[in-house]
Amino acid sequence: MKRQVLLPLLAILIIVGGLFGWSEAAGNDVLLGLDLKGGAEVVLEPVEDTELSGDALDEALDKSVEIIRNRVDGLGVAEPDITRQGNRIVVQLPGVEDQRRALEVVGQTAELRFRPVCAILPAVPIKLDEANNQTSDGANDGPVGILPTDQDELPAEGPEGSESSTMGSTPDGIGCENLGFVPQDALGMENTEADDDEAENSVIFPLLDSEGNPYQRLLLGRTMLTGASLETADASFAGGFEWQVLPVFRSGADGIDLFNAAANACYNRNSKCQTGQLAIVLDGVIESAPTVNTPFFERDQIVISGNFDQNRAEDTALVLKYGSLPLEFGDPTDPTSGSRVRLVSATLGQDSLDAGVTAGLVGLALVALYMIAYYKLLGLAAMLSLAVSGTMLWVILSWLSETRSLALTLAGVVGLIVSIGTSLDSNVVYFEHLKEDIRNGRTLRSAVDQSFPIAFKTIFWANLASIIGAAILYFLTVGSVRGFALMLGLASILDLVATYFFLRPVVKLMGMQKAIQDRSWLSGLPLSVGEES
Amino acid sequence: MSVLRRMYRNETSVPFAKLWKPVGLCSLLVLIISVSSLGFRGLNLGLEFEGGGAWEVEASGIEVEQVRNALPQSVSDAARIQTGGGVLRVRIELSKAAQTSLQEGESGGDIVQEVTAALVVVTGQDESAISVSTAGPSWGEEITDKAINALIVFFIVIALYITIRLRWEMAVGALLAVAHDILITIGLYALFQFEVTPPTVIAFLTIMGYSLYDTLVVFDKVRDNEHMLANSKLTYTLVVEKALNQVFMRSVNTSITSILPVVSVLVVGSGIMGAATLREFALALLIGLIIGTFSSLFVAAPTATFLRNRFGDADSDSNRSYRLSEAVKKKSKNSQVVVKTPSNPAIPPRPRKKRK
Repeated sequence: MKRQVLLPLLAILIIVGGLFGWSEAAGNDVLLGLDLKGGAEVVLEPVEDTELSGDALDEALDKSVEIIRNRVDGLGVAEPDITRQGNRIVVQLPGVEDQRRALEVVGQTAELRFRPVCAILPAVPIKLDEANNQTSDGANDGPVGILPTDQDELPAEGPEGSESSTMGSTPDGIGCENLGFVPQDALGMENTEADDDEAENSVIFPLLDSEGNPYQRLLLGRTMLTGASLETADASFAGGFEWQVLPVFRSGADGIDLFNAAANACYNRNSKCQTGQLAIVLDGVIESAPTVNTPFFERDQIVISGNFDQNRAEDTALVLKYGSLPLEFGDPTDPTSGSRVRLVSATLGQDSLDAGVTAGLVGLALVALYMIAYYKLLGLAAMLSLAVSGTMLWVILSWLSETRSLALTLAGVVGLIVSIGTSLDSNVVYFEHLKEDIRNGRTLRSAVDQSFPIAFKTIFWANLASIIGAAILYFLTVGSVRGFALMLGLASILDLVATYFFLRPVVKLMGMQKAIQDRSWLSGLPLSVGEES
Repeated sequence: MSVLRRMYRNETSVPFAKLWKPVGLCSLLVLIISVSSLGFRGLNLGLEFEGGGAWEVEASGIEVEQVRNALPQSVSDAARIQTGGGVLRVRIELSKAAQTSLQEGESGGDIVQEVTAALVVVTGQDESAISVSTAGPSWGEEITDKAINALIVFFIVIALYITIRLRWEMAVGALLAVAHDILITIGLYALFQFEVTPPTVIAFLTIMGYSLYDTLVVFDKVRDNEHMLANSKLTYTLVVEKALNQVFMRSVNTSITSILPVVSVLVVGSGIMGAATLREFALALLIGLIIGTFSSLFVAAPTATFLRNRFGDADSDSNRSYRLSEAVKKKSKNSQVVVKTPSNPAIPPRPRKKRK
């Protein structure tokens, strides 16, 4: 008889212990959400006037998720989580150190454009009359401004081809041709506003030094090709002394041919590209403006070298690789757009975690005191049962963390703390049944057997309602509500498991002990009527 | 015997039925206050619902005025600044500020940067030590819309569930109790103008789940006792009252074990250790848990009883087969009922143990 109880009890302990051991051995660990660990969360919503809808929008969003995921992988964040929620893209980067940089990398939404440099201008616009005086002797066919350039160079790596003259001629009216004004006029022009940054316009953008201050401005011609022509790009530390960016173009008319047409124009310094420099521009920022040293390139033999440090080389490569998203998203730092951003500092995250854990432990201790004071040994059994379901919950959470990158957020921690109370309810229901049965004349031994099915039925149906509720919330809502629903559902299921497989045998075992049967102060139960008389 | 001792021994005989009316009136009063303060004062919605930005940074010994003066002119008046617990909190309703500056030809994104830069200067902390969050006004609305949709489905499914499992009168009672709890909690938030944030919405949902669970345990007991209608000719009201007395201690204990951790979160987590988000959860939970236990006994039960007395079919009770609670088959001290096992054919004989 005793064996009948001990075996299942041992079995459940071994199973739970084994699961815990497996989980620890596998190195599964509960991931902390960014509100506990610090990090960045960006939610991107397409701008309202997007022309796409239906399937096209759907496809564009999926593509964007893919592109952002690739960009983020380049950031080296341990557990990035990029998901689509309806028409939004949620990017979570827990633990990311340089949050601003993360924001920039994720938020870059514009088209990558290759524009020829038509003229190099001083950093500050010069009034037209002064400009005329200064450049009255200037030639029409050369760059304006005599500032030194330290632009990146594009050395020859492809075969020096005699076919250069025949290769790809650009169509008329692109590049620096037919701008509608002479480059000298540009001296007095302000930088181009973001709204006027169209592919078919010429633009003026500043070149920034490492401190972010403009030291030159470039007059750029119309776009000659876009990021769509690029296949991929890499940064490498070549020869052990300098950082280089290696773009690879797609083959064919929409890829390398377009690039070669532009390169040819620049190499020959013809009217489309008088300075010989080809600028790579993303969202109004000149990423790089290398001089073209060869008229013809193999699509995978192109090297951009120059003043790159590691960060800039990698960023430029990332921009080249994943430059354009198929959709335009609202600026996350603009509160009037649907997009939003959340940056959590690591120290504040740690503070929240500490506060949550401390509060949980204090709460647990208080509950344990109360349960043991009220139910004595049964209370202790209840706390053990809570430990069993808690361990199982931990194993499941860390498993989900590992496989589905589910992260524990502050909402989850609170959910866990609340579930302490509700899990103990099943024990309370059982114990109260037990007391009532014994008061009605049963012996402890038979009451333990008879009360459980009735109490468990109550617990089961009540928990089933909770599980149904949790499932509805899980499938019909988004974001943090969903995480909470998962926690609620899991806790309810585990409560049933722990009650049935752990609490029942433990209490049964206690009911068999003569030492406990006779001592009301120990069991927390009244003495049976039969035994009293 | 002292009341406590009687409670411990589950021998209370609280005349719940007599209390229902006065307590129900009080409850109604609180409900009216809640709903009207919701109507007149409205909710103090957090920035997630209004569109805005929030900054948090560790800083001690900084005066509110100092921070206000350091903030950019366009937002310094609208900023809500809190210091305390070694953490400086600044919240700004950005949509207005952004509109103003848009009219002045600046872009809204700059404000966020400006405020962050101002806080770096005033606290002397590194930029990465500052938590920033911004939200458009649509987001909070959307999450609330989704939650409300889910709620409607939830109510329908749970109503069906209780009707099938127990009785339709109980379904009405349980859902009324849930609605009562949510309305009062939200009403108190409106009355005291506590801030409603997404964590608060989650807390409201938790309350719902808890309230429902608690009510179902009570109703299950009532159902177990329903055989007394036929067997001992008790009125339905008395049957319910007896059941409520039987589960009374369980309700009290469950409330205590649920409320203790939440109080700990409120006092230790948010009070002593200063985690503001924890308060957003815990306050709503605390109010809701207390009301949830109360409503099971004083809203759900009387509603179900009233409906049952009004619409119930007395004949069906004697024909209906009940699964008897083993516990009440015994002679009960409070009611002079003797239920002999064979008197109800639906009761299976107590199974013998297979091995003894």
